[in-house]
Amino acid sequence: MITADPLTFITLAPIALGMALLILPQVLPTSMAEYMQRIARPLSMGLALAIFAITTMLFLGQIGAIDWLNILQGEYVFQNTPVVLLEEIGVRWVVGVDALSFPMVWLTAMLIPVSMLVEWDAKKGHIFHPLILIMEGALVGVFVALDLFVFFVFWEMTLIPMFLLILVWGGDNRRYASMKFFIYTFTASVFMLIGILVMYFNTADTSLAGTLTGHHFDLISMTAQAAGSGLIDGAGLRHFVWILLLIGFATKMPSVPVHTWLPDAHVEAPTAGSMLLAGVMLKMGAYGFLRVAVTIFPESTVVFTPLLLLLGMSSLVYAAIVCMGQTNLKRMVAYSSVSHMGLIFLGIATMQPLGIAGALFMMFAHGIISPLLFAVAGAFKHHYHTLEIGSMRGIAHHSPWLAGHMMFGWMASLGLPLLAGFVAEITVLIAFWMTFGWLVILPALTLIITAVYYITSMQRTIFEGGDPHVGVLPDSLHGEEARDITWHENAGMFVLVALTVLFGILPFIFWDMMSDWSTEFMLETLIDALNSQGVKP
Amino acid sequence: MEVLLPEMILVVSVVLAILVPNIGDAKFRIPLTRVRVPIFVGGTRLKGTSDPRLPALISITAFSLAMFFSFFGVSADSSAVEIGGVLAVNSFSRMMSFVFYAALLLAAVAANYRLPARPSARAPRERDSAAQAERLVRSLMDNRRQVDFHILLMMVGLGMSLMAMASNLFFMFVAIELASLASYILVAFHKEEAVGGEAGAKYFIVGSVASATGIYGMSLVYLWAGDLDFDALAASWAAMDGYDPLAVIGLGLMLVAFGFKVSAAPFHLAAPDAYAGASSPVAGVLATASKAMGFVALLRVLLHVAMPDEGEAIWFVLLALIAIVTMTWGNLAALTSENPKRMLAYSSVAHAGYMLAALAAVGSGLGDDSTTRLVLVAIIFHLSVLVLFKLGAFLVLGLLEIEGRSHRLEDLHGLAHRDPLVAGSMFIFMLSLAGVPPLAGFLSKLLMINGIINISAGTGSTSADAIVPWAESVDPVFWLAVAIVLNSALSLFYYLRIALVMFFETPESTKPLRRATHLRNSIVTLAFLTLAFGIGSGADFLLELVQNAVSAF
Repeated sequence: MITADPLTFITLAPIALGMALLILPQVLPTSMAEYMQRIARPLSMGLALAIFAITTMLFLGQIGAIDWLNILQGEYVFQNTPVVLLEEIGVRWVVGVDALSFPMVWLTAMLIPVSMLVEWDAKKGHIFHPLILIMEGALVGVFVALDLFVFFVFWEMTLIPMFLLILVWGGDNRRYASMKFFIYTFTASVFMLIGILVMYFNTADTSLAGTLTGHHFDLISMTAQAAGSGLIDGAGLRHFVWILLLIGFATKMPSVPVHTWLPDAHVEAPTAGSMLLAGVMLKMGAYGFLRVAVTIFPESTVVFTPLLLLLGMSSLVYAAIVCMGQTNLKRMVAYSSVSHMGLIFLGIATMQPLGIAGALFMMFAHGIISPLLFAVAGAFKHHYHTLEIGSMRGIAHHSPWLAGHMMFGWMASLGLPLLAGFVAEITVLIAFWMTFGWLVILPALTLIITAVYYITSMQRTIFEGGDPHVGVLPDSLHGEEARDITWHENAGMFVLVALTVLFGILPFIFWDMMSDWSTEFMLETLIDALNSQGVKP
Repeated sequence: MEVLLPEMILVVSVVLAILVPNIGDAKFRIPLTRVRVPIFVGGTRLKGTSDPRLPALISITAFSLAMFFSFFGVSADSSAVEIGGVLAVNSFSRMMSFVFYAALLLAAVAANYRLPARPSARAPRERDSAAQAERLVRSLMDNRRQVDFHILLMMVGLGMSLMAMASNLFFMFVAIELASLASYILVAFHKEEAVGGEAGAKYFIVGSVASATGIYGMSLVYLWAGDLDFDALAASWAAMDGYDPLAVIGLGLMLVAFGFKVSAAPFHLAAPDAYAGASSPVAGVLATASKAMGFVALLRVLLHVAMPDEGEAIWFVLLALIAIVTMTWGNLAALTSENPKRMLAYSSVAHAGYMLAALAAVGSGLGDDSTTRLVLVAIIFHLSVLVLFKLGAFLVLGLLEIEGRSHRLEDLHGLAHRDPLVAGSMFIFMLSLAGVPPLAGFLSKLLMINGIINISAGTGSTSADAIVPWAESVDPVFWLAVAIVLNSALSLFYYLRIALVMFFETPESTKPLRRATHLRNSIVTLAFLTLAFGIGSGADFLLELVQNAVSAF
């Protein structure tokens, strides 16, 4: 099963185990239920680690021996034999990965055990950890599903565990935040659903079609049809569908002006929740945008490049400026995520292989760095009971490990060379310069703003105590001794730190396949669209 | 007669429910002799027949058997059987009666706890305290009323099932009235509570006005066509030159009657009061089976009779407007409801709006046979799965009602701490009502939106090269899909609020819920089915059944 169809396994196994761990204790007799609850946490961790091992083996070639370069456009590896799920409307279980989705799958598989580790001592762990496990299945499902119905199901399914995580383990204002999170993203994705249904209604391949409707949700076939005769007749409808899809994806990403759910959700979410939210859930937006909107409607993407530019630029600049005014640590990091997501739109808008590869690497690098930042912020909240930046000074003295990770994370996030974030930023900026020339000044200057807010808050929290040996402790400690982070928090953060360095020095581990994919994508999909719209590539 | 087996079972059960509790040791003395002939009815009741749990047992058995046999009617691909020119038994009517019986069976199970039967109840004695005496009197009353309740429930089932088979307008009306009159009484069943009587009176008055309007419409239609058979009416409608005012007015008046049954705006105003006053199982029946009945009537009249072969139907614009008003009104009103039952009632109004929108899209005449079928499948599928998650939600309220709570949002507070499994099921029901995948509610909503888009999205101009000209060129029907989507988003607020209070608020009492094993098991089973009918082979199976049924419509 695992070697024959690894992707199905890593999608469904966590969901099945997570559900079982949640439901069985409710129906079993008390003694067995207690036993189940005791083993829930190690069992979840074990499966998460196993899945990480499987994905790593997939990457290194121990399973399947895949050459991750030179995967042709529209081809997927580890594809399963399709299973019909809903015969009447043409839904099939088809999974597969390519160089666009695999780094995201690996990232998810890596982040889940790390986030479990960081919140190893979470309250009600017998519910918490299975929920994270369900989350893993849903997230992986989004990246591997090649049937738009299944994709949408997983897309929405990610909301439910996250909603519960925020609602049950969140901060003081969790009620408002979880509602806002759910309603915002659900509303956006039902718009996307209309877009998907219009696409569905235009599919032509009758061999896959549902017996009742005569259409199918298969993404591979849709892509092929789009590359051939075009999926939808009429540019007006195409553009309309593209906009509907953009609403769904941009809200998830999130981009200004539909970003306001993110800071609230992040501030209230438990540490593991915000790590996954920032690390993987935001990438779903960018992934879906590339996989569905850009791949199937390249012309509309070219036509709406100015819109992408506007969205990307305003996210980048506006969120960076907002960051400077934040006094809440998590809120600042959340806005910096919005800002970095802006770079992804800019990378796509360049219509250069380098820019798209940069955007892909941005997705990946931000997926390592931002969980580190949120882990740090969560630990800060955990041990100092506050998130106010100005409320305390000189934590380097009290919590040297926390201060060290915090500093490292911020440095990585502002794009210090030799760390993963730098590779992504510099490539996007180079591609931006190649396409838009001196307009690059704007995003480049924003990087300075990023440095400003990170370095000032660094100075104000980590260093600069009134007395160099004591610092100022926040009132929220109520005179308690300030402590450093626990071993499991430290271990989780160390993994992320190590990966940030690894991918900063050796970015080509994933960069090669990303850049290969982008070149292929450019040649196969975008170049015709650019030509037909009269844009000189 | 074997095709009417489920209905026969019900009739027999009604008779049994009347007779069996009266069986005793009565004897008749032949006059002027000493010979006493046992006649068994009356006298001191036997131990077995005096058990107050007997009526519930009869009705649960009857509904289970009826459901079982209806189910075989759906899957058997035998052709329709005509009975007496007024009934047509085919897989469509069997599918609908299967749905009705399933809903009523669940209601009967739940009613056991709402209206508990206590064989040990005795008459109060002198030395009992006032409170104790009152409690004893109440349980004696409950025991007495058992049989009434279950007979009425079986009457509702009989009426609904006959209604689904009717091929004649008049017979359909009679069947609807049989079901409705019984349900009016059921709504007012808890007459000792102030809200119960009020709800029943309101529902009865508004309902009978609606029925009167409907039958007036039917008489106009009869005047026009001289026949009440659906096929004959459809032929007359097709042959009509222009629009005969009699036919059109008749149709409009019938729409009022059926609009009341499906609780479409503006005829829905009595529904929230009725649901809030009725006991939860009865409210659940109103929101699922009764609504399905109204929709079958609407489908018969609008699609079978008044649908032209090509072009726009005369009712299209009206129905589209009603659909939009219904869903928006329902959702906005649900947002402000503090009573969970009222909230569910308004959510049911909103769901009626979604289905009417899908129906209106067929009326636009832009689609062909296959799109009509798609919409029909969507509506019937939705009506079927509503029994799972709408009735399920009402059953959860019914579980709380055993403790005399469920009229305030506060009663749901902290349910997750008191019974995680029931709270989890309620959460699934709420998500399914909101249409979150991969639950059954999502699939049915997707099918409806899909039907509308399938009908309308192709109408936009293909030469339009920008969004605005395309949006101007597309048929307005397309915006019905957008209306559904916007309303779904709006509805999330109140569905999530329920989830929120269950998980977040501290409960008013920390005691575990009253034991109600069968009810709790039913709730959990319904939650599981909501999941199973959302995706995979379960959904495939149900869709196939529905498709089979629709092909016989």
